[in-house]
Amino acid sequence: MSLQLLFDAMALGGIYAVAALGIALIFGVMRLVNFAHGQFIACAVFALIVPSADALAVMGLGALPAPVLIPLILLIGAGLAVAAEALVFRPMRNASPVALMVSSFALGVALQNLLLVLYGGRPKAVSLWAELGHPVRIAGASVPLLQLIVVAAVVVVLAGLALMLRKTRLGLEMRAAAEDFTMARMLGVRSNRVISAAFALSGGLAAVVALVLVAQTGVADVRMGGQIMLVAFIATVVGGMGSLSGAVAAGLGIGAASALLQAGLPAEARPFRDAFLYGGVILVLLFRPQGLFAPVGAKPRV
Amino acid sequence: MKRLALALALLAHPALAQEDLTVGFAIAKSGWMEAYDTPAATAAMIRIDEINAAGGLLGRQIKVVEADTRTDRAESAKAGLDVLDQGAEMMVVSCDYDFGAPAALVAEGEGMNSFFLCAEDVKAGIQGVGPNSFSASVLAPVQGATMAEWAHAKREARTAYVLEDTFIEYNKGICTGFNWMFPQLDGAKIVGSDTFKNDDASVASQITRIKELPDEPDVIMLCSFMPGAAAAVRQLRAAGINSLILNGSAVDGSYWLEATPDLSGFVVPVQGSIYGDDPRPEVAAFNAAYKAKTGNSPASQYAYPGYILIDLWAKAVERAGTVDGAAVTVELEKMRDEPTAFGPRSFTSELHHQNTALMQIIEITGGKPARVDEWRISQPVPLDALMNK
Amino acid sequence: MTSQHTIRRRMAATTPVVLALLLLVFVLAALALGDRAIARMAAETLIRVTMVVGFWIFVGNSGVVSFGHAAFGCIGAYVSAWLTLKPEMKATLLPGLPEMIAAADWHVLPAAVAGGAVAALVALVTGAAILRLSGIAASIATFAFLAMVNTIWANWTSVTGGTSSVVGLDRYVNPWVALGWAVAAILVATLHAAAASGLALRATREDEVAAAASGIDRFRHRLLAYTLSAFFCGAGGALIGHFIGVINPDGFYLSLTFLMLAMLVIGGVGSLSGAVVGVLALSIAVEALVRMEKGVSIGAATFALPPGSQEIILAVAMILILIFRPSGLMAGREVMLPARWVAGRASTET
Repeated sequence: MSLQLLFDAMALGGIYAVAALGIALIFGVMRLVNFAHGQFIACAVFALIVPSADALAVMGLGALPAPVLIPLILLIGAGLAVAAEALVFRPMRNASPVALMVSSFALGVALQNLLLVLYGGRPKAVSLWAELGHPVRIAGASVPLLQLIVVAAVVVVLAGLALMLRKTRLGLEMRAAAEDFTMARMLGVRSNRVISAAFALSGGLAAVVALVLVAQTGVADVRMGGQIMLVAFIATVVGGMGSLSGAVAAGLGIGAASALLQAGLPAEARPFRDAFLYGGVILVLLFRPQGLFAPVGAKPRV
Repeated sequence: MKRLALALALLAHPALAQEDLTVGFAIAKSGWMEAYDTPAATAAMIRIDEINAAGGLLGRQIKVVEADTRTDRAESAKAGLDVLDQGAEMMVVSCDYDFGAPAALVAEGEGMNSFFLCAEDVKAGIQGVGPNSFSASVLAPVQGATMAEWAHAKREARTAYVLEDTFIEYNKGICTGFNWMFPQLDGAKIVGSDTFKNDDASVASQITRIKELPDEPDVIMLCSFMPGAAAAVRQLRAAGINSLILNGSAVDGSYWLEATPDLSGFVVPVQGSIYGDDPRPEVAAFNAAYKAKTGNSPASQYAYPGYILIDLWAKAVERAGTVDGAAVTVELEKMRDEPTAFGPRSFTSELHHQNTALMQIIEITGGKPARVDEWRISQPVPLDALMNK
Repeated sequence: MTSQHTIRRRMAATTPVVLALLLLVFVLAALALGDRAIARMAAETLIRVTMVVGFWIFVGNSGVVSFGHAAFGCIGAYVSAWLTLKPEMKATLLPGLPEMIAAADWHVLPAAVAGGAVAALVALVTGAAILRLSGIAASIATFAFLAMVNTIWANWTSVTGGTSSVVGLDRYVNPWVALGWAVAAILVATLHAAAASGLALRATREDEVAAAASGIDRFRHRLLAYTLSAFFCGAGGALIGHFIGVINPDGFYLSLTFLMLAMLVIGGVGSLSGAVVGVLALSIAVEALVRMEKGVSIGAATFALPPGSQEIILAVAMILILIFRPSGLMAGREVMLPARWVAGRASTET
């Protein structure tokens, strides 16, 4: 694989990996497939601009310098997710996974329509850090600086999260809860705290995806985030439900597979790229029904 | 305000105070299509106000009734029935073929005329609705063909690369027109093509393929719409690709230019310039009227077809002396290069669309859009090329 | 004296009758209002009943959430379009169709049945692979199936027209046609649920291990339910096509998937009545909110919701219903005639 291709694959895979992690964290602690995650991403993007239905977007928070802006957007993402948990998912703690999923979907619809009312249906331009667009040459590959920063940001986020999950008490509790929630609770894990923390992290990760996406594409659209959320959801399952590192690996893998298919397929077959991709997903599942990196004990016990 | 004007008009012409003539708008007033339908509908209202102020149509004042399609196919048909029940005698439907057709089919079933606000798919007319349906916009393939011929003639484009967004039919139409026209031109060659999807988070692989070409192509034909088009342009320029980028009308407007600051070498064909530099006084007058009505200039050229459609329909009604669908259709089909504020328009019994049109060429240089030229393709796009993609 | 068990069985047998009567009353009420938009809304609702009841045959009995059923709607709609469109129209719009289909000029009813049958056939083949998976993996595989069908349909231009819509479908679907299909779906769903295979499938839903230990072949029963359910979703798709008159792959993708899922879960996935009630409740709520958004005159004052608020209000209402009734409106119960009635009638028979 050429270096160029590797970078292309990473640019897409990185975004999917961070999004998949956001989905897997919540799935791990409360068996919720959070279909509102895509709208969390969109909300974090739109938080950058002043609400108005005018065609021309006026930067609100987006005009702030990066050291203030980044933590602020992460906080907004986290706050939104925690609020969603407290208002919607906490009262449904005992509902079936399907009911939870449908209510997360309803939440997503509500958020999306709220954005439509506030910002209008026309996509908007968001010029965030456009100066990062200059190409850089690395060992024969020409890569926009931005793409490098995207890859670096993904690595930093993943490393930071791994450190947090391994070294802090909260991280330990969260991993325990993801593996076996009932058992963890019996062993003294404070469930509300862990679930809130998982939502906060997940919302923060949605905000990371939002920033990366805006920096890469320069646009805000109410429908953005949906496609990424679906891929992330698939990655979570392919990676092995409940396995956080599995979700990351599968996210990277799906992104890379998509880039490889785009590069390798003959021109007539390229429009069918996603059909090949999802066919691959079904094949992987048939051979590894528990996912590629299923945690020990993921098989249903008798 | 409108009521007042109407009352004044009635007072002024007491003899003509007969029943109003009703035009129904079955358009998206909520959902994402709203952003595209509202400007064109506003433009249509401007023309209606002008006609009413001048004494109305066939001596009758035009009354407008509305229903919301909610950007939904099934709701579109219901909105069509709704305006019908409110007494509509002509129906204006949503910009996009898919969301407008269910309502237009309702109108067709009643033998009424229907106009798509700005559909650019050949099906938005005889081919996809029926003999009384029209669109006032310019077919997408014409836009692609215009780009091909203009770039070849004025920018010495000899090599082209086609990047097609497979997400919606409009994009494919642009590429159809380009792929039909460009290879016919002297010494011109399409050196490669690729596809992407509007919501792809990254088009890095597509860019790598362009960069692997032995020579950077003279032009890149980007067949896409917002937001994917803006994202693709940003990534193309970020990767250091400096070819002239050609597009369809769908990316007109300066609202998205912030996505790629200091963008240069980006060309769009439009029906009229929204940037205040259109040489035709009628366009300037319309822009001023639009600003007076809404407080802003049009955000893109897609307001214009709304004005054109009422203009053409009203002319045909005057000539036919009735609003009966079939009679008006006959008059519309007689139009050959009928002058409008935005250039001549023609309809035939085969095609209720423009298969050639005088288009203004907008080029973006240093982040500033400006009208640089105008162009009309040397031969109309044939029906075969329009239908068999 | 009729035994308790017999009475229960007789009561259960009244469920489809009560549901069919409910739908009949719904249609009559909608038509009595004399508003064409309401009549269309009634037809649309009954098409959804057909699809959601079909969807329930699989999801309700197996307990596996499927994201793939909108794809069956897509297949059914296109098959019906392929068979009923005028051959000369197909020659220009869809030049890649095989000779036999290109020449076909079928009546609408057999075409709708064929749409369902082809969808069922596709379900049989794909289900044979996908249904070996369990739980969430099966759900994701059905989703991948949906995405594959959508991608193929949006790009196989010579056969499906691609993203370009297929037009000119005969718009024959009125509330009565839709009612006929909805009642057929309810009858088949009842018969399947009461048959051995339906019972066995519900046993695997309740306790997979115990069912397997009792010798139940989960895969076989799931596949049967999946195929049956695809039939009605396919037929429902054909009805949608002939209801709107224009079809596009985009109309059979995520929004339809989630709409069907939401209707089923709001009504209650645990019972057939839940599926029917969910569709009716959501459809009526949407219509009411849309009307309120347009403006309702109460005396001299006109009261209107702000545009775009309908979706938000509905989504919040859905969340509230799920918070207070997590098992849905019907919470697993069936509507049926009271025991007194069936027992009384039984005693006169004897």
